[in-house]
Amino acid sequence: MYQYTEFDRQFVRARAAQFRDQLRRHLDGELPDEEFKALRLQNGWYVQRHAPMLRVAVPYGELSSRQLHQLARIARGFDRDYGHFTTRQNLQFNWIPLARAAEVMELLAEVDMHGIQTSGNCIRNITSDALAGIAPDEVVDPRPYCEILRQWSTLHPEFAFLPRKFKIAVTGAHEDRAAIGWHDIGLQLLKNAQGEVGFKVLAGGGMGRTPIVGSVIGEFVPWQQILVYLEAIVRVYNRLGRRDNLYKARIKILVKAEGQAFVDAVNAEFRHILQHDHEGAAHLIPQAELDRVARCFQLPEGLDAQRAPAAAPAPDTLPAAYRRWLERNVHAHRLPAYRAVTLSLKRAGQAPGDATGDQMDRAAELATRFSHGELRVTHDQNLLLPWVRDDELPALWVAAREAGFATPNIGLLTDMIACPGGDFCALANARSIPVATAISERFEDLDRLYDIGDIDLHLSGCINSCGHHHSGHIGILGVDKDGDEWYQITVAGSDGSTLSGAAVPGKVIGPSFAAEEVPDAIEAVIETYRRERRPGERFIDTSRRLGPLPFRAAADAVRRTTAATAV
Amino acid sequence: MRFIDPRHDRWHRVEGEDGPVPHPDPLADRLLTLEQWHAVRDTWPRGLAAGLLLPNTLDVDTLAEDLRGPQPRLALLVLQFPKWTDGRAYSQARVLRVRHRFGGEVRAVGEVLVDMLPLLQRTGFDAVQLRRDQSVEAAVRALGFFAGHYQGDVRQPQPAFSRDLLAEAAAVSNDAGLYAGQGI
Repeated sequence: MYQYTEFDRQFVRARAAQFRDQLRRHLDGELPDEEFKALRLQNGWYVQRHAPMLRVAVPYGELSSRQLHQLARIARGFDRDYGHFTTRQNLQFNWIPLARAAEVMELLAEVDMHGIQTSGNCIRNITSDALAGIAPDEVVDPRPYCEILRQWSTLHPEFAFLPRKFKIAVTGAHEDRAAIGWHDIGLQLLKNAQGEVGFKVLAGGGMGRTPIVGSVIGEFVPWQQILVYLEAIVRVYNRLGRRDNLYKARIKILVKAEGQAFVDAVNAEFRHILQHDHEGAAHLIPQAELDRVARCFQLPEGLDAQRAPAAAPAPDTLPAAYRRWLERNVHAHRLPAYRAVTLSLKRAGQAPGDATGDQMDRAAELATRFSHGELRVTHDQNLLLPWVRDDELPALWVAAREAGFATPNIGLLTDMIACPGGDFCALANARSIPVATAISERFEDLDRLYDIGDIDLHLSGCINSCGHHHSGHIGILGVDKDGDEWYQITVAGSDGSTLSGAAVPGKVIGPSFAAEEVPDAIEAVIETYRRERRPGERFIDTSRRLGPLPFRAAADAVRRTTAATAV
Repeated sequence: MRFIDPRHDRWHRVEGEDGPVPHPDPLADRLLTLEQWHAVRDTWPRGLAAGLLLPNTLDVDTLAEDLRGPQPRLALLVLQFPKWTDGRAYSQARVLRVRHRFGGEVRAVGEVLVDMLPLLQRTGFDAVQLRRDQSVEAAVRALGFFAGHYQGDVRQPQPAFSRDLLAEAAAVSNDAGLYAGQGI
């Protein structure tokens, strides 16, 4: 993991001091709500339905046991004893009173954490592959680059008030586990024919009410130049992005409207910076800096990379539940004697991605015992242990089961992505959690879940798409009609992974459903797949082959309170 | 950073009853709109300093010719924040400084709030006209929280990775007053 330097620590403390001053002026009445808003947002404080929400940055998803213990302490002492892990690999608290905000920021600073730029119209916390640095299919470890980007984007003075929020995702593997096509900027590390490292750069992806997949604007930007290239993109966006209409302010709208002219403007700006600007080359990344940062991401101390894999026991000698856990929650590792293990945060009785203070402590203990004190927050809202010895898998399974993290459902229907929805979020049109719960209960049976197989179900409580419904094989979107909660269902969306195919938004299957109809409609969609699938086809394959119509017909057939319209 | 009191500002707009005078005479201390400047720039005397009030939609690269040369006629560029959350002028200021090497005054006007000061200073502004209700004292304090930043800017073009951070940190830890009273 990245090791904070004295400079980094001083920086976070300075930010906490600055925020304390702003908060004091706000509480004293010197700084009105409207003006305090943009300041608190850029520190992660978001006013929700019940209390401010604090979004804590987990840079590119990397978390230490020590940090997670501290988050547990904050959950217990300041919140109602839980937190919510998000698709952007962050952690949200829902119940911390604003007056205690400065205290919490200082507790976070004790463990090198903060909420800087987790909200607001700025460059947000950078996300990456949860298997960064350990995936067998990795070409280049993205973490050192993520950290350099994190530093570059942190309190960038020119880009603090962009037209709209700005999200960057980075991957360095063949498989895209970071959904880079759905980000304002997506970066894919690769090597050219000479073995040099560079970035394929996508720009203009985003969800919301106009889902657009990013387009490639740079085929190979040498790694040394990436900060300058990003500066060019963000400056063009800052200058030309729309500010007259909130819904048209994301960079995706600019890229779509301008097309090649946008790319030309970025390239011209890039050349200007390097050729004309005073010290324009100052942000070319020196090899020494990459090396300094990369040293933080070497193997954890005490890990034996040369260790031979343990002899695998014959599968039929293992308990069925353990086999299932191996199949779903344990992932291949670039070191043959190690595995990555997902701790499922998708279990009966709790909202997807939620963890209590006690559960955070238990997960941190598992990381200390089995994974060199390191965890990852995954895009799918689970926790992952990146450094587990293969011969310790049985012991981990027992311990994870005791702690309630061993539901063997990773990648299955109940491993769904869901936003906090209308129970917490002031933006939401509809609740997410009761719908997620109803679906989880409906599909509790593991044999059935396994028969359905790999599937991404994504649920958002409103069009802001925090639950990524556009990219779900099945997407559910909460909408508001005359004050009632309704849910639109889509099929065949993709996040851009190999399994899901090229990133694409799903297709709507008819008018919205009432909340109580949703589990039936989802079941009808699933049963259509089970009936129509060809050998070896997963849900996404069948739904792409058939198109939305058969799913629509099946879902219409189970409507009770809503009426279908003619196709 | 200079704090401008509009009551004692040497620069004056050239306006008649119907708004900006289309062809202002070449006199000292005139703050012109871009339209006025375009109307008079061909005849404006060398050596007579003018100020320009620029919309935040302007691509400042289009001013390149006016900014070039040993004796530019423009001494003041006023950049606008129609809303304080509209950050376009930060990019304008930075490009004026680092690309066009503009050495005159770059001033922020409009909805200028104290918490913008660090951003303004780092993007090349050297003068601000705060919104009337803002406190200069709080604005000065806002400039004091950070000893250094990660990325380079107009004042410090070198990013942290090219600087001697140990020396910077030593300088700050000696400055005990910086964090005094901040509860950390």
